[in-house]
Amino acid sequence: MWRLNKVRHKAGGHANSLEELRTKRREKERALRQARRDRQLVSKRLLLNEDEEQDTMEVAPGEQDVVTLFQILQHGGTEKEAFLRPLSKALRDPSAQLTFIKLENSMHLLVGLLTGSDARCRLQAVRCLHELSHSPHTSVASACLPATPYLLTYLSGQSTKFTELCLYTLGNICPDSERVKERLLAQGVIPALAGCIQNHRHNLAVVEAAGFALFQLLQSKDAAQKVIPTVLASSLPSQLLSVLTPDPDFGLAPAIECAWCLHSLTSSSEDHRELLAQGALRQCCSLLVSLGGAVADGNTDQGLELLVCPLLRCVGNLLSSCPAEALHSQLGGVDLVAPLCELVVALLHTLPALAKETAWVLNNLTAHSTESCSALLTLNLVPRLLELLPFSQGINTMVLRVLANVAHKKKEFCVRLAELGLLSALTATLKMADQNVVTLSLEVLFMIIVSCPQIAEQFVSHGGLSVLEAIQYNSDGEVRRRATYLLEQHILTEK
Amino acid sequence: MMLQPDVVQFIAMGGSQTHNGDEEEGFRGAAEQQVEGNPFTFSPQLLRLHRDHELFEDGDVFRHMYLQDLFISEAEEQPAPSVSEFGCHISGCRAVFSTLHEYEHHYNSLHRHVCCSCRRSLPSARLLDIHIQEWHDSLFTILAQKQDMYLCLVEGCGQKFRTSQQRKDHLIRLHKYPPDFRFDKSRKERGTREASREQRTDTAVEAADDVCRSEGVCEVMCGVESNQLEREESMETHASSEEAAQSEDFSASAQTPETNTERLKPRYSYRVPKTVCFGHGSVRGFRGQRGRRK
Repeated sequence: MWRLNKVRHKAGGHANSLEELRTKRREKERALRQARRDRQLVSKRLLLNEDEEQDTMEVAPGEQDVVTLFQILQHGGTEKEAFLRPLSKALRDPSAQLTFIKLENSMHLLVGLLTGSDARCRLQAVRCLHELSHSPHTSVASACLPATPYLLTYLSGQSTKFTELCLYTLGNICPDSERVKERLLAQGVIPALAGCIQNHRHNLAVVEAAGFALFQLLQSKDAAQKVIPTVLASSLPSQLLSVLTPDPDFGLAPAIECAWCLHSLTSSSEDHRELLAQGALRQCCSLLVSLGGAVADGNTDQGLELLVCPLLRCVGNLLSSCPAEALHSQLGGVDLVAPLCELVVALLHTLPALAKETAWVLNNLTAHSTESCSALLTLNLVPRLLELLPFSQGINTMVLRVLANVAHKKKEFCVRLAELGLLSALTATLKMADQNVVTLSLEVLFMIIVSCPQIAEQFVSHGGLSVLEAIQYNSDGEVRRRATYLLEQHILTEK
Repeated sequence: MMLQPDVVQFIAMGGSQTHNGDEEEGFRGAAEQQVEGNPFTFSPQLLRLHRDHELFEDGDVFRHMYLQDLFISEAEEQPAPSVSEFGCHISGCRAVFSTLHEYEHHYNSLHRHVCCSCRRSLPSARLLDIHIQEWHDSLFTILAQKQDMYLCLVEGCGQKFRTSQQRKDHLIRLHKYPPDFRFDKSRKERGTREASREQRTDTAVEAADDVCRSEGVCEVMCGVESNQLEREESMETHASSEEAAQSEDFSASAQTPETNTERLKPRYSYRVPKTVCFGHGSVRGFRGQRGRRK
């Protein structure tokens, strides 16, 4: 069983050296990045036996053993379990998996054992199926189709370990093949998952497994049409929300899975009414605030960011559906502005990608909320935002948007921003090589200059005139027009 | 940040603020918006990001590293946030810099105090004024026949001389200037290259005796021995880049070998039309040195 408190490495490893591990990780990361760009990002999980330690995973026996074992099992006899164990171990090997499914009646045999009267055989049979489900070969998933109605049926059973194995097996096979996914949907995977979480809600290992299975289902390309409406109509949304708060003893894992499910729901579909009605925004926000506080305090509880990330995304996308007048009630009094600013700053040097996502959420929060913009000013958060402006790859552009949101609301806000040092920050950002940064800087500058004539003078005294003059020669026409307009209409006329 | 429209369901809800009307003294209803030709378009926008959006890439990779048991939380391998570079705005000048100081230095050295007519860059507004007067002002030429018009270059001295040679002598004798002071070339010397390689001042990279070195429009109009100028110029800027590398304003890395090869690369063309000129001192783009590339 994986838990975050250990550094783990994948199958095939006895302990590698640290350097090998790092190289492997980097390669893996590259592969994952490419897979995402190809829209092929899929992962599987393998549940180990209790008696297995990942570090000492045995090298699988050869394919021949699979054939032999199968033949023995086929011939009947009462000692099947004794042969099922080694079979499941043998099936960890990818080529053995392929061999097995090609054997005639192999799946039939497994399904028979899965549904037979011997409970220990059932457990071992599902273990075999689980190993098969983890196969890198997508053809294996289709081979497991005959087992699916039973796997689903067993989700409403009571046996926890068995249920866990069923869930991970289902989660592993559903992204591999359209046929499998459709069959599962037709067979009622969604109500089965909802029922399962309900029945096992006090067993967090099972909840985690169910969350994973649902996540896998939600990754399909047409999830928005085929999966999500059914999910939203079921009891799953409220169940996912109820699991969000991490259990201090069990750890973050179930909450992580459920949060990623919620992110999949909010980012694949525009229909957020159900989730908003269930109070998703408020709950995600308050959890984000408490977790964010822990991150900002330097709490190094490993994996916290794995939960913060999907929460941020849920909040960001839910905010985009929330009409401005409902914002206050939807947030339920949770003050997001200060925690988000703290979080951006805290994440900037450890996880800049997450810092960028946090800034995005701030944009959505401040876009149409005068209250949030006002809070940024009164809580003295603007200087911290200004400190973020040197950082690229989307961070400064997003922060400039936030500042523009504030400036856009009221003239008083513009004056206040100027007092807080925005002008000298802008004279720096106007010189940056990134055209998006320059354009946004000009927009902000325009708003604050127009709000108050003295600001134009201050800008000039900050040496802003020469940079605007230089910008008039920029290669981008839009940028040139803005600089020229600003100079001619608002700055040079003042002088 | 510009979001890719083909990937993202990008929903801009920019216009729906009328219900916040009382508090909204911002730009929604400002007269400014209605002014003809106002190019400013910003309005606050809710950004809805689809799950495939590139902004989510890192977090997703993270998530899957965790699913595949490759997750490590320690910060050891996390990349540091990257810092924006500064870039020279002048079209055709592609210089980028990692610090504001470098940017300022580049800009002040190469793009300020530029003479409209001959595109020389002078180190200060004062020297530019003197240059324009002496080189391009026909009234000056007329007056100089009768009066002492050549002003001493040292600020505060105030003495005037009948000829530029006399001024030069004065500069050498009284003010201890070198005989080949770069910013006191007389008009007649234009076109001659005095290849002096000794110490120059910080702001030494003058556009110098080239009329223009760029391709395109300028070449057609000047028809000068651009090849010769290219070669000479490359030697000169080579020298000045060495010198500039010694200047404390620039970052420490030894870049001369790199800039050597850079010198041989073709210049960027000069796109700003000749007629555009901002005041007496023009902010002009032309071949300057390339900035330090990291």
